[in-house]
Amino acid sequence: MAHAVISCLHANLAAVEAVLADIDQQGINTITCLGDLVGYGPQPNEVVELMRQRAIPTCQGCWDEDIIDGLNACECSYPSQLAERRGHLAHQWTDAEMTAENKRFLASLPTSLRRDKLLFVHGSPNSQHEYLLPDMNAFAALERVETAGAETLFCGHTHQPYVRELRGGSIRVRVQHNDSSSSEEQDMTLPMRRIVNAGSVGEPRHGNTQATYVIHDEATNDLTIREVSYDVAKTCQAIIDAGLPEVFAWRLSHGFEYAERADDASHVCER
Amino acid sequence: MERWALVSGLGGDLEVYEQIQRELKTKRGLDRLFVLGDLIGPKHNNDALLKRLQQPQRGDLPPECIYGWWEEQLLAERGYRGDRTAEALRINHGNDAVEALLASVDTGHMAWLASLQFGFIELDCALLHGSSADVGDELMPSSSPLILLDRLTRLDVNRLFTARSTQQFRLDLNGGAIDSHIKDLNGEHNQQQEVPKRSVIGIGSGEMFSLYAPGSDHIEFVKVGVKPVSRGLGFG
Ligand SMILES: [Zn+2]
Ligand SMILES: [Zn+2]
Repeated sequence: MAHAVISCLHANLAAVEAVLADIDQQGINTITCLGDLVGYGPQPNEVVELMRQRAIPTCQGCWDEDIIDGLNACECSYPSQLAERRGHLAHQWTDAEMTAENKRFLASLPTSLRRDKLLFVHGSPNSQHEYLLPDMNAFAALERVETAGAETLFCGHTHQPYVRELRGGSIRVRVQHNDSSSSEEQDMTLPMRRIVNAGSVGEPRHGNTQATYVIHDEATNDLTIREVSYDVAKTCQAIIDAGLPEVFAWRLSHGFEYAERADDASHVCER
Repeated sequence: MERWALVSGLGGDLEVYEQIQRELKTKRGLDRLFVLGDLIGPKHNNDALLKRLQQPQRGDLPPECIYGWWEEQLLAERGYRGDRTAEALRINHGNDAVEALLASVDTGHMAWLASLQFGFIELDCALLHGSSADVGDELMPSSSPLILLDRLTRLDVNRLFTARSTQQFRLDLNGGAIDSHIKDLNGEHNQQQEVPKRSVIGIGSGEMFSLYAPGSDHIEFVKVGVKPVSRGLGFG
């Protein structure tokens, strides 16, 4: 059976509708959403209501958390200072725009979802704000999956889709205790694990304007990254009409942002 | 050659601290004394030791302190950690233990305790109470090497000194690798990463402490009043 994983919808209704249509067209019934329903985009209520109406299991994203908790986030919420300033504007706008009921829905979302050996989170199992980038230290990446007790970890938050298989790993250690002059050696064989980043439906930053998501075929264990076209101009216009920073429209129409790289991807959120 | 003394888990015991200071005087070439948390503890009134740490006596190697698990509990309960309270202590030892801890430290010491850092980075070494993940993280020889490597990687250090487990040990990561296969919209590629030669060192607690020479990577485990067993191994 195949299931689809979507993330980072960011209040972009046209993109969400296009991706859901693409999933429906392939006859896939199981969809999991990794959060960030809102933020940056112009239709937060519409997107939340669509997800509620379709009853798509969703975990809470960094934006969803911040809309409820306020911006008490540590500085790791934003990959750069520039992004932070713009993020604050979008936060205020979204906060004012959203209905109390839709905020309550965001507050009710779990931070992770689990189906057998599949774990679904927004950022990492540690935090909605931690970035698991594709070139993150492989051992540290494996530690995230292994400590969480999963075989495949689905995450989002970076807005760049990828599938990373960690395999053939081993670590040898030598231990000396205080009460003996000898030391012992041990070898640990590491299990094969995968990290799958679903990219972003509503705010792609992989260098292309198309919405991205992933399909996982559980029978073959194949993972496919899908790209879906949608009416980018329509959402850009809505951003400008809403009075949101124009740079969000620029970013949507380019599919990347120069400054939008994590300053310190290994930063551990201590919130 | 530079040499450090690494101490933790004094738990308010001024007598042990004085014994350690006396012992340190017999060692040659010691430059610095790091006290890696748990200056305070539940067994003693902590005021005398806290005073001594803040105002070293003549001849004391001046201590450089960080906070540990017990300070974290106290600071949380006294309102220095936002909304948090001494939950971990309360769950494990009950409310009486929290009350006893509050009573064992004069509030005049709180500002100083609150000023203590989470850890020190010296050269390529992290000096911590627990780990880079949490002050309560217990790293020990039986911990998963994957977790140990992660804790080293988070701070990008070669040596991580930890005290929380109270054990004295040295664990060297000395081999292994992992393959990564990455697929994205630009294609696929493989990466291999080797296990870096890094170490986690448990410094002990109370009268068990450690001496470390960063230049030679030589660790010596000491127990107050006992002739130390020397450790010549290391990567040099
Ligand atoms: Zn996002
Ligand atoms: Zn996010």
